[in-house]
Amino acid sequence: MDANRIQSTPIIKKETKNKIRVEFEGRTSAWERFKLKVFSVSFLKDVVWYIFRLILLIGISYVIIYPFISKVASSFMSREDFVDATVLLIAKHPTLETYKAVIVDNEYFRAMLNTFVLSASTAIIQTFITCLIGYGFAKFKFKGRKLLFMFVVLTMIVPHSTVRLSMFMKFRYFDILGIFNFLGGGVFESIDILKFTDISLINSFMPFYILSATGLAFKNGLYIFMLRQFFRGVPDELEESAYIDGSGPFRTFVQIILPLSVPMLITVFMFAFSWQWTDNYYTRVFFTHQGPYTLRAFIKIPRSLDTEYPGQNMYVAAIRNTCGILIMLPLILIYAFLQRYLVQGIERSGIIG
Amino acid sequence: MNIEATKKKKIKIDSAPKKKRRIASLDKRKARVGWLFVLPFVIGLVIIYLPIIYNSIMFSFHEINPLQGGGYELVPVGFKNYSEALFVDPSYVTELTSGIRELIFDIPAIIIFALFVAILLNQEMVGRTLFRAIFFIPVIIATGLISDIDAQNILSSYMGGTGASIDTGTGRNTVAEIVSVMDVEMLFANMRVGSDLVEYVVTMVNNIFNIVNRSGVQMLIFLAGLQSISPSIYESCKIDGATGWETFWKITFPMISPMILVNAIYTIIDALTRSDNNVMAYIDQVYDSGADGNVVSSAMAWMYFLIVALLIVVVSGIISAYVFYQRREE
Repeated sequence: MDANRIQSTPIIKKETKNKIRVEFEGRTSAWERFKLKVFSVSFLKDVVWYIFRLILLIGISYVIIYPFISKVASSFMSREDFVDATVLLIAKHPTLETYKAVIVDNEYFRAMLNTFVLSASTAIIQTFITCLIGYGFAKFKFKGRKLLFMFVVLTMIVPHSTVRLSMFMKFRYFDILGIFNFLGGGVFESIDILKFTDISLINSFMPFYILSATGLAFKNGLYIFMLRQFFRGVPDELEESAYIDGSGPFRTFVQIILPLSVPMLITVFMFAFSWQWTDNYYTRVFFTHQGPYTLRAFIKIPRSLDTEYPGQNMYVAAIRNTCGILIMLPLILIYAFLQRYLVQGIERSGIIG
Repeated sequence: MNIEATKKKKIKIDSAPKKKRRIASLDKRKARVGWLFVLPFVIGLVIIYLPIIYNSIMFSFHEINPLQGGGYELVPVGFKNYSEALFVDPSYVTELTSGIRELIFDIPAIIIFALFVAILLNQEMVGRTLFRAIFFIPVIIATGLISDIDAQNILSSYMGGTGASIDTGTGRNTVAEIVSVMDVEMLFANMRVGSDLVEYVVTMVNNIFNIVNRSGVQMLIFLAGLQSISPSIYESCKIDGATGWETFWKITFPMISPMILVNAIYTIIDALTRSDNNVMAYIDQVYDSGADGNVVSSAMAWMYFLIVALLIVVVSGIISAYVFYQRREE
């Protein structure tokens, strides 16, 4: 009987260009199948786990997103709302005054432009340089490679705040191995143009560029590590065939390796850009009050807003949060466009031990 | 004939070493190209990084006097800065001990949470991309300036609490706790679990926002590790009848253990550079109290770093004893 059933030809119910729906004769009825599928322990388990997981994920997402909601909500509140005990999230007297004051008085666009120029240029330099270094470590076997990589790890482990004072001194009295001092102080003392003794790079973008161009800027050790792991996963045959076709190592790097590592490069660029964008350590070390006006200096209470009243604490917090929203806004836009590359890039890097 | 034969021999003798030299030079050339690729880092290391490290260590043993014509002068004072940090400064030692203790407590919390979420986000489900995007927002945004603002933010705790508890005057005493310690202690009173453990779990739950914010990169690393486990292993497990629990402890956990080591170290390093790090904030405060920077802060920072480095060595020693490597060499 069973054999018969299998041999009976299926009835074609619906046929389109690339899909066929068939029904076998004597197949268990739909209701029967549904019952078997649903009223079983394993299905119940799956459903419970599914719901539990969904609730958990939504809960954690809420924890992450909640501060943003409260920030946005408080930014639209007017002064009176902060002393009103009945106001929680939604303002009774919604106003755009905080935004206006912060943008106009604190010169938001000037701060953003400065920070954008700084972040974009350093991020581009860092992405390219760490890519070069990571590729060098991954694909070439030269003497001292392991020792040098230990130094990369060292730059990762020693936080830059540990060496804050000497970092400041280095760029306040900039000098390369004492050469400038030697030339300016001794040999060329009488010539004004060659007097290099007191070069201060403070309050310029130069310290950032120098650190970025040498792969020493914020978290660059991490980028080098990530890129090295990624390039190790690229098959050697690719380069070998390029070499055989007569392409040099640099041309191979630019024309073959870079195009296939675009997701990884975007990931590194996004990290570098956003971490420089919200950076408050390097800008604090290298910029004094006369320095370029960046987003770090932007967080302050605007002059036109009067905060001297009973709700002061909360009002000040709300103004600072409004600054925070304006700082985050460009990053969120960038993240929305580039986030799919983030996971993709990290997944391909296959970071292992 | 004879002459020709010797000529041929000569040519052979000549050509053999030449060939060898050429191969050697190709290797050398490749090595040289490798040096060219890492050259930026070498230059930076030699002219910037090593002098900075050397200077910083030197500064911690000296006093600094800026000179009129530019440059500065160092007066050696031995261990004076260190003893000042340890014995004269009022709050350095207490800040240091509480900072280190906090760090030790945070490491397991962050790693467990990151692993848990990474496993959740690795499963097939509806809206996975959306959840992933949300979970990695803190990596990009909640750093530096923003976490600075959040650290001083009293507003979100207000809005989380009930409206009745708002105290408009001082405002700092209404920080809403998700779980109260007393409630949980009463719950666990009969279960003979140590009260320390209960307190630890409760602080962890109340700290969830902090932990979520700090575990973004760790999640990414775990996720990458989970992706690299071959699905065929899971398949064969399923065929052999292993439950999900067994699969986790016998397959996922050993395979992910190198990542636990990486993450533990990363968590420690990350904690050092975060702006809500109290020890670093205190050191910064000391630094700012001098006109051109205070050398005592260098001594403090190096002591802190040495302790943390020791912590890294101990933690990686403990974890690497349990790490399972699938491939013994790279």
